[in-house]
Amino acid sequence: MLTVVAGLWRVLRGPTDADRMMAAQLLGTGGIAALLLLAAGMGNGAIVDAALSLSVLAAFASVAFALAVPGRRR
Amino acid sequence: MSATLLIDLALAFSVLAAALWTVAARRAFEAVVGFVAFGLVLSLAWVRLGTVDVALTEAAVGAGASGVLLLGATARLGAQTLAEVRDQPAMALRIATGFFCALLAVALGWTLLNLGDPAPSLAPLAAANLAATELGNPVSGVLLAWRALDTLLEAVVLVLAVIGVWSVAPDGAWGGIPGDIQPPRRDPALRLAAQIIPPIGVVIGVHLVWTGAEAPGGAFQGGTVLAAMWVLAWMAGLVRPPAVSSRRLRVWVILGPIVFIAIGLLGSFLADGFLAYPAAFTKPLILLVEAALTFSIAVALVLLLVGPPKAAP
Repeated sequence: MLTVVAGLWRVLRGPTDADRMMAAQLLGTGGIAALLLLAAGMGNGAIVDAALSLSVLAAFASVAFALAVPGRRR
Repeated sequence: MSATLLIDLALAFSVLAAALWTVAARRAFEAVVGFVAFGLVLSLAWVRLGTVDVALTEAAVGAGASGVLLLGATARLGAQTLAEVRDQPAMALRIATGFFCALLAVALGWTLLNLGDPAPSLAPLAAANLAATELGNPVSGVLLAWRALDTLLEAVVLVLAVIGVWSVAPDGAWGGIPGDIQPPRRDPALRLAAQIIPPIGVVIGVHLVWTGAEAPGGAFQGGTVLAAMWVLAWMAGLVRPPAVSSRRLRVWVILGPIVFIAIGLLGSFLADGFLAYPAAFTKPLILLVEAALTFSIAVALVLLLVGPPKAAP
């Protein structure tokens, strides 16, 4: 949870786009971890599904970000 | 108790911070990254509120698909962002906008604080009649049985959106391959990612649709994941979309709504009315509708993400 908040802070501050992107990824990973913990803590297995879809889409979003960052387009 | 309270407070603070930052961001790219982060924190908040269905949708559609869609729009707008900053609206208009937004927020807050106790809700009624649909997930029951018309219209909206995107194609490019003409990327890392992730993603997407009958999940979430996987392979240059003029592609886009409407019409002869299911076949029909909708949603989202055709066939 703290990672998520720290990551959010980084997204907000990040001086370059790459920083923001990396922080968004960290945020995704932290979010998945938080979801898994919540799934165990709240005893609701369906939350694992949410974590699963988030993990797939986070990877997808990172590729999209990487291609969209100005200057890296080839 | 204090630990959960702490987590909830941190979540609420994060949601507000991400939202504020997204609105205040100077450049479109920053705003998009903020929006994705906002969607992520928001889906955590939905989980904390116990609405996993909404959390799943927010994670898939809000943070995933919309983020990438906005990213594409940002890349296309490019230099025009500057013009937007230069031509700021008049002071009076800005004050009026702020005033009415604040008014709306106050009205919403006031309503929330004055909700009846218990709040008016149809939830007990839905839960009591859930057995009739043979579904385990009340949200799916409501979406596909009692409020089927809403779901049908949502699916039709996607078809209209695809038509809208295609209609901005230049005349010369009509009938061509949708999306930018991309040189095959020789990026080994990207190719590897696009070969490893989609098989896993497809399994997760199908799982989300299938489990939607019993637990949180469903056609929209599963379709979004499937679409994301295909677009990932497209970005790596591994696959090419069929031409806009392809009849097969168009059939895929309208398949879901057509099946939905056909079953709905069937219901008006065999059951109580349009979009009502014959009692004996409720669950198989709902699953059929879900499956057809999933394919159409996935194909439509892919076409939205890829964009209009840019070059002649």
